[in-house]
Amino acid sequence: MSTSYDEATEGKVYSVNGADWDQVVAGARDTEEERLVVNMGPQHPSTHGVLRLVLTLDGETVTEARGVIGYLHTGIEKNMEYRTWTQGTTFVTRMDYLSPIFNETAYCLGVEKLLGITDRVPERAQAIRVMMMELNRIASHLVAMGTFGMELGATTPFLFGYRDRELVMDLFEYITGLRMNHAYIRPGGVSVDLPAGTVDKVGEFLKEMTKRIKDIRKLLDENPVYVRRTRDVAYLDLTGCMALGITGPILRAAGLPWDLRKSQPYCGYETYEFDVATERTCDVYGRYLVRMREMEESLKIIEQALDRIAGPLKGDPVMIEDKKIGWPAQLALGPDGFGNSPDHIAHIMGTSMEALIHHFKLVTEGFRVPAGQAYASIESPRGELGAHVVSDGGTRPYRVHFREPSFCNLQSFPAMAEGGQVADVIAAVASIDPVMGGVDR
Amino acid sequence: MNPARLVERFGDRASVSESYGDTTIDVAPADWIELLTFVRDDLGYEFFDWLTGVDEPPDAFQVVAHVYNPVASERLLLRTSVPRADPHLPTAVGVYRGANWHERETYEMFGVIFDGHPHLVPLLLPDGFEGHPLRKEFVLAARVAKPWPGAKEPGESGHGAPSRRKTLPPGVPADWGTPDG
Repeated sequence: MSTSYDEATEGKVYSVNGADWDQVVAGARDTEEERLVVNMGPQHPSTHGVLRLVLTLDGETVTEARGVIGYLHTGIEKNMEYRTWTQGTTFVTRMDYLSPIFNETAYCLGVEKLLGITDRVPERAQAIRVMMMELNRIASHLVAMGTFGMELGATTPFLFGYRDRELVMDLFEYITGLRMNHAYIRPGGVSVDLPAGTVDKVGEFLKEMTKRIKDIRKLLDENPVYVRRTRDVAYLDLTGCMALGITGPILRAAGLPWDLRKSQPYCGYETYEFDVATERTCDVYGRYLVRMREMEESLKIIEQALDRIAGPLKGDPVMIEDKKIGWPAQLALGPDGFGNSPDHIAHIMGTSMEALIHHFKLVTEGFRVPAGQAYASIESPRGELGAHVVSDGGTRPYRVHFREPSFCNLQSFPAMAEGGQVADVIAAVASIDPVMGGVDR
Repeated sequence: MNPARLVERFGDRASVSESYGDTTIDVAPADWIELLTFVRDDLGYEFFDWLTGVDEPPDAFQVVAHVYNPVASERLLLRTSVPRADPHLPTAVGVYRGANWHERETYEMFGVIFDGHPHLVPLLLPDGFEGHPLRKEFVLAARVAKPWPGAKEPGESGHGAPSRRKTLPPGVPADWGTPDG
């Protein structure tokens, strides 16, 4: 990035190449300037992927902080304009790679709005979506908490976080066939029903995870080192959050109970009982507490969703009945993670020519979406994740824009870090919990 | 949203429409900042959500912003249209600080110039990148320049029998040809 590089190198630059350290020190003594520009990243272990930070320091104090992003830009929004609406899910799942289920759901809710089928998506599919999203929220918060610990110098939280996240990954692999990049949520429902035994597995998971979260709380809640590194650090109050468009745990740690699951319910969240976690401290410790409580609330929601999936919604369809939109959702899970339904193949290959034509058209050309624009947003682990979907009436998106919470929240990093100590920069970035795949898209 | 107050202030200069549960307000570029300031100060839409562009060839780029009223829990889409030939729009950073990166992204992706922006330089694209990728005339050419290692179709990216029909990657014009001719 030429501009930021030039700005970072204005003034006298001291290079130790080919010079004795004494000479460098003597040279530095000649000038009045005591500014030090430090470059962090893009390949620094504590910058959450490929994020580059340019810090101007006066002693230990950060006087100016700037984030440089774009190292993971993959052109997902452009690529989607050349694929069908259904193929879009395979792109969006790769944006924020720690919360793939949320990316898919936000996109599919946008497409469903344009199709006008929001009310016709089967209830079982909605309950499965809710369960998968809350599982994903736990996995994502565990990574946030684990990397956070590691970046402050403690490896135990990191090991705890990743060990416990495996429980969720195992469930995801069992249900969707893949650990990440699932493309499981599709316009009209989900790609395949839950395999046999899911209810028992998730039930065991709920018991185990309750214990694990308690363990993490025992490790960190009152840990003196942890508390000192996080309390009153990276302060950002409600006014700052509002002006900068900050959502998620950062906003809730500033005291506003703003959670789209409550304020604009989707997927039937209004029928689940849970609380919105808030803190009033506006600091890193508050954001940690919010994330921990959100995991506990997620467990409650999963339990309720599971009761419905195993009870009243048992055996219901998981994909919209409309044959013009719904892909065949009775897939049999093969060893590679995907598979075909023998019944469906027998039907299209053996008994019905129309069904074969129809299947071919749906898979190769895709369905048409009425012209218009719609915005759908959901509460991802990092905040408001939204999809602004524009259609020109064709089988491919005309334009899809994602409101990525990591992108918006990372903008607040200078506000949190400037004026603070250089060591607290790490804590500030970690508490934002940016995922660069989402920031750069 | 209270349309009466908006009509009182803007009259014919703003048009309000409803679609898919979203209220959209369209104004001319000259009224853009006045509209943003009005919805923030007088209608309570204090929370800036996002801003982006939509290419509408041959004439215009639409610039869309989304704002929230956290007290009433309401949201608004604000939209304006700038000419493709001379895409200029005053910056919204003075009204909503959070618009900064969003405008930089829209600038590099569509080439819309936000006058008065404090630091209008590319945000995501690498140094020296030419063109504005999200414009419709920008060709998705990476697959032509570089064969895809996952090619399965006959004739795709130099794989398979040459006598079969060649398939171009999605988004590549038909007269571009494939790397092997």
